[in-house]
Amino acid sequence: MKTNNTNIKMKLDTSPKNYGDILIEAKDVEVIFNLRGKKLKALRGAGLVLRSGETLTIVGESGSGKSVLSKTLIGMLDKNGTITNGSILYRGVDLARISREEDWLTIRGKRIAMIFQDPMTALNPLKKIGEQIREVIVMHCGLDARASRTAALEMLEKVGITDPERRYEQYPHEFSGGMRQRVVIATAIACNPEILICDEPTTALDVTIQAQILELIKKLQKDMGLSVLFITHDLGVVAKMADKIAVMYAGQVVEEGSVEEIFYDSRHPYTWALLASLPQLGVKGKELFAIKGTPPSLFKEIQGDAFAPRNPYALQVDFYHEHPLFEISPTHRARTWLLDANAPKVEPPEIVVKLREHLKKTTGR
Amino acid sequence: MKQVPVLGPELFVPAKAQAGEEEQIGYEHYSYWRSTFRTFLKNPVSLVLLAIIIVLTLASFLYPVFSKTDPNKVALDVERWNLSPSQGGGIFGTDQLGRDIWARTWYGTRTSLLLGFIIALLDVGIGMFAGALWGYVKKLDRIMTEIYNILTNIPQPVLLLLLSYILRPGFWTIIIALCSTGWIGIARFVRNKVLMIRDSEYNIASRTLGTPLWRIITKNILPYLVSILIMEAALTIPYSIGAEVFLGFIGLGLPLDTVSLGNLVNMGKNNFMLYPYQLTWPTLVLALVTVSFYIAGNKFADASDPRNHV
Amino acid sequence: MGKYILRRFWQSIITVLIVLFVMFMLLRLMPKENYFTRDDYINMTEEDRTAYLRNLGVLDNPLVQFVRFLRGFVTGDLGRSITVYPKTPISEILKEKIPYSLWFGLVSVLLSVILGFLMGIGMANNKDKLGDQLGTMYVVAVRAIPSLVYLFLIQMWITHLFNLPMVFYEDEPASWILPAISLSLSGIAWYAIWLRRFMVDEENKDYIKFAIAKGLPRNYIMKRHVLRNALVPLVQYLPSQILLTIAGSLIIESIYSIPGMGGLLVYAIRQQDNTLVQALVCIYSILGVFGVFLGDILMAIVDPRIKLTSAKIEREVTA
Repeated sequence: MKTNNTNIKMKLDTSPKNYGDILIEAKDVEVIFNLRGKKLKALRGAGLVLRSGETLTIVGESGSGKSVLSKTLIGMLDKNGTITNGSILYRGVDLARISREEDWLTIRGKRIAMIFQDPMTALNPLKKIGEQIREVIVMHCGLDARASRTAALEMLEKVGITDPERRYEQYPHEFSGGMRQRVVIATAIACNPEILICDEPTTALDVTIQAQILELIKKLQKDMGLSVLFITHDLGVVAKMADKIAVMYAGQVVEEGSVEEIFYDSRHPYTWALLASLPQLGVKGKELFAIKGTPPSLFKEIQGDAFAPRNPYALQVDFYHEHPLFEISPTHRARTWLLDANAPKVEPPEIVVKLREHLKKTTGR
Repeated sequence: MKQVPVLGPELFVPAKAQAGEEEQIGYEHYSYWRSTFRTFLKNPVSLVLLAIIIVLTLASFLYPVFSKTDPNKVALDVERWNLSPSQGGGIFGTDQLGRDIWARTWYGTRTSLLLGFIIALLDVGIGMFAGALWGYVKKLDRIMTEIYNILTNIPQPVLLLLLSYILRPGFWTIIIALCSTGWIGIARFVRNKVLMIRDSEYNIASRTLGTPLWRIITKNILPYLVSILIMEAALTIPYSIGAEVFLGFIGLGLPLDTVSLGNLVNMGKNNFMLYPYQLTWPTLVLALVTVSFYIAGNKFADASDPRNHV
Repeated sequence: MGKYILRRFWQSIITVLIVLFVMFMLLRLMPKENYFTRDDYINMTEEDRTAYLRNLGVLDNPLVQFVRFLRGFVTGDLGRSITVYPKTPISEILKEKIPYSLWFGLVSVLLSVILGFLMGIGMANNKDKLGDQLGTMYVVAVRAIPSLVYLFLIQMWITHLFNLPMVFYEDEPASWILPAISLSLSGIAWYAIWLRRFMVDEENKDYIKFAIAKGLPRNYIMKRHVLRNALVPLVQYLPSQILLTIAGSLIIESIYSIPGMGGLLVYAIRQQDNTLVQALVCIYSILGVFGVFLGDILMAIVDPRIKLTSAKIEREVTA
């Protein structure tokens, strides 16, 4: 589809100044998957902004398009998926238009790295872990055999693996899940990338290990000046990690803002519902809040607001017309007709209004 | 499609509660078997092969109803011997004794298919039963594993030869020889599945939720097994037909007065230099049968994999 | 590792013993007439026959016979052929036969490994494209059509087309070509289809996704990750494939009249030569068990995970 510019050599603008502090700006990204002749629209005009040095978390339930959106940033959509609309600007290059594998090789792993959910399967079981780190260093930093080995050992040390010399020679099955995730992180950041995408990196781990890994990512972010895109459906993790939050539903970012804005001044009914279903907010003896129904099938064309059928605050307009993006503050935006001038004034549920107190009471933060 | 009203202030009123609608828009109902068959039948190749299999099977079993030609009728007139189709020897010609090869091919296909069907049925039946026992009864594991090692470590053709050598050549000898090794692979497969499925978390969950055993078996275990068993059965048929040809060649096959594809091919081979059609036609039919079953079996296995369902 | 090899070795010895015992006992069921050449049988009186059989030892308790057979087997005494090469020691017959099977087998192993691997890699690299489909068609043809059928056709048609000899002549190199190619056909298909399948399996694993995210080029990933890991499960089956190919093909050696071990077995069965059948069947079975043993050892060497879980190596593939 975007074949006309495939022959032009891609040019990354690596000078730090030119784009202010905005590293990635994705707009109106639309992704369609072809599943045996049926079309599934996984992203329906999603957008986000990632600024230098900050952590942006994407939250949303399964199938909301979190992972798909993050994969478009690194050119790793499954073969049956294509970006059919929108742009993803990164240092003067539209990532949505890169089609040549060679072009991606200058970005993937080198400038934008990604780690996945399950560390148990992310490493080649038949290759020494040291070699798996070293091959990235050789590929992207152009170091020779000895220098790259030293660099790999340094990385192991950096992610908190003791006795790196011995560990270097070991195979993945000799590591625990948490240790493997450390190795995966070491591999991902081995060449000083600018951006680290973490796709639910702690979901498969024990709770105690989770905290360690989150701390590690935070520490590395500070030490190396990483910008982190963090995907999760765990609002507890969000509260711990995020500077900014993007809430996704049915292939769209429905609300985005700073942690403060989302937790204490959210505007979208879906965000309210998400917050209200935090188990920490449950009151003893009362039923926990749960969002009714299931997300819409993305095989069908969605008319109006995808959340409308599950939304107790739905307006009639939600069933017919697509909700535009309303800007609440320079960093806070939401897609809901409730922000329209014509809309009746609606109060968020009590539990969300009193979130600050609730959180203080239950978590002590 | 709903009638879309114009965007205006009058639409900004709370929507009436539409009870149940939030549940309706979820994903459509999924049925494993319906999806399996739909996926299988949607592939034109599978459809054509299935049609070929059905037509060939029906035709070979019904041939005696339509035609009175006796496949063993020897022509006393030497003029009728070794006539090619173009010389008026019938559709596929006549063989060295003036027998009609067209008729013999259909009778032969019937014998070979029957052989294949019986072996497939026995293999799968015994294999499933033995495999289930093997998986459930812990004490049996050692001895069954040893039997498995013995039967699979010996090269299959050698074992087949040895068994046919010891027994008297005949229809049931081939069945016994092939089944005595064929069941073990299926049993092994069933055993592995039974072990895996029995202890899998979703079945433990099912059990703790009070799902009755028959429901666990029909909904959770059978779909895993049946699809593979159908494929195994489908693949056993070309294998059995091939084994019959092989044994016929060695001299341990069906008696020469039994019309089978193996006997036709082996006889055709002897006369090939002078009368190539005597080998070509039966061979083509045989290849059509075996290839159809082989590909159809594989296609079914693909279709039965839920990952290939929409 | 050493412990694992040793344990696996004893296991194999026991399997071999059981296999030999079962085969030996099954062969005791054969009619006693098979121990005579046709002429001898006709010319001998009833007493002569009994004396002859007693002399052969086949009237003793089967267990005694089995022990005697084992002792002979270990010392290289396989008995004497009856009808095929009357009264010749089988070990001497084999000495003549083995080189033919060995040479044809080696050439065919080489051909099928090289061509099969290239084909499998090519198919995996071009999955679902034309090349892959053509390759699959070849594999289906070779695996679905009984080998005897297409081998007949090759022997008949190709010899006719290129004017090659129909049977094997030791002094005529042109007559070696077709048997060597025929021997490789199923091997090529076997290596190609399994390598392709294992490569596709590996390609779909999560660590490949991560390797792509690491920014490694596709060629590098295919070579250093996918192919390397796909070879591991294949390695297990290599020794038995190679051993049994070297031991000679029953069909090809008989249709081309190659004087090797496989053709000999077919001939021995047709001639109902009990001792010869017994010796050959036992040799093939031992090679089979030995091949599986070697495969397991090789597997343990190339797969670092096995040292920990050496108790069980699950076998999912059958040839």
